[in-house]
Amino acid sequence: MKVEPDLQGDRKVYSVSAFNRGVASWLTRLPTIWVEGEVTEFRRQDRWQSVFFTLKDVRDGSCLPVSMPRSGFDALRLELVDGQTVHVFGRPELFAARGEFRLRALSIEALGLGAVLAGIERLKRRLAAEGLFTTARKRPLPVFPRRIALLTGNEAAAKHDFVTAVTARFPAARILIAQTYVQGPRAAPALATALQDLAREQDVDVVVLARGGGSFEDLLPFSDERLVRAVASAPVPVVSAVGHEQDTPLCDLVADARASTPTAAARLVVPDEGELRERLGSLRSRLDRAPLSLVERRRAALESLAGRLRALSHQATLKRGYAIVRTDDGIVRSAGSVGVGDAIAVELAEGSLAARVEETRR
Amino acid sequence: MSAQPTFEEAQRELEKIVAQLEGGRASLEDALALWERGDELYRYCLGRLDSAEGKIEELGDRIEQARP
Repeated sequence: MKVEPDLQGDRKVYSVSAFNRGVASWLTRLPTIWVEGEVTEFRRQDRWQSVFFTLKDVRDGSCLPVSMPRSGFDALRLELVDGQTVHVFGRPELFAARGEFRLRALSIEALGLGAVLAGIERLKRRLAAEGLFTTARKRPLPVFPRRIALLTGNEAAAKHDFVTAVTARFPAARILIAQTYVQGPRAAPALATALQDLAREQDVDVVVLARGGGSFEDLLPFSDERLVRAVASAPVPVVSAVGHEQDTPLCDLVADARASTPTAAARLVVPDEGELRERLGSLRSRLDRAPLSLVERRRAALESLAGRLRALSHQATLKRGYAIVRTDDGIVRSAGSVGVGDAIAVELAEGSLAARVEETRR
Repeated sequence: MSAQPTFEEAQRELEKIVAQLEGGRASLEDALALWERGDELYRYCLGRLDSAEGKIEELGDRIEQARP
């Protein structure tokens, strides 16, 4: 299509209509392609020529308006709901009357179970490559959390099991509960937002994510990138207690700890008060015994030193039968230093003798 | 006690002090100071246990808003 500008002086000026038609015409040269995204704002009315929805990129929220002729859409017999991941085959188009860019769909395919599984597998590898699942990232759970946050669905069982198990171990536990969607397309963003809200509440030291068992599809939100990233970036440790033992949603891999049931999660996040008191009591008695044994140890060391000192003294020698002979001049070491009749003192191990020299032999 | 430690920080320090005293390497002067600190930590931990008050609350309103 040829689009002619007006010439105003030396400036080429296009009308809005001409501009839009020109761009629209240029866009038709682009090829038809497949685009993957999540369906939001799906709108269909019998009196409309086309159905409309927005494709959303779950990674960064980028949006792309999509339209498809209603007859073509109805022929696909798709039950499209918001939040569903689809592949749209189409070409880019500019709706000239409004200057709106969109994807004109020729066909739409809802992702089957196999494709969903493959998508989770790809996401898992990508997040693993980022290091989100490494044990080095896992934070230790608090021994004695000031406040425990529970994020769960509107199901009585998980909440009841968790609260019962927590209060059985620690009657005075403080629990903050948030309930939100846990399945369906709204669940992942709702869970991610609720998790952030809970973790920010005062004194919350740990968050438990609990959901009973369900079908593979029911547990899909727990493998959603938005929730996985919310768990990874939570300011406090997160325990994942989702589904049954055999299920491994991605939030299990990124969580700081994993529990198979809400009851098991309770055992992880709260100490047994009895055990805690017992442990404290034992520390108390060890603390009180320690200084005494420290003094006793010092006394024993001192006595051992005194013993060694005694062993080195002349007293020990005297005990073995030796004697010390003295005159007023001092110790007698030679017979020549005394004369017959001299007074000598003889010191024994026990007592001493006063004597006189009767004879000297050289 | 300086800035409120968490329960587990206090318990860990208490365990360390007991082990240090039992190890017998501390001087008698240090031992006295250690014992006093241990006593303080023990009382703190016990106080935390005794003063704990159970409370179960729901974070209602804000989650409502978060629902699309």
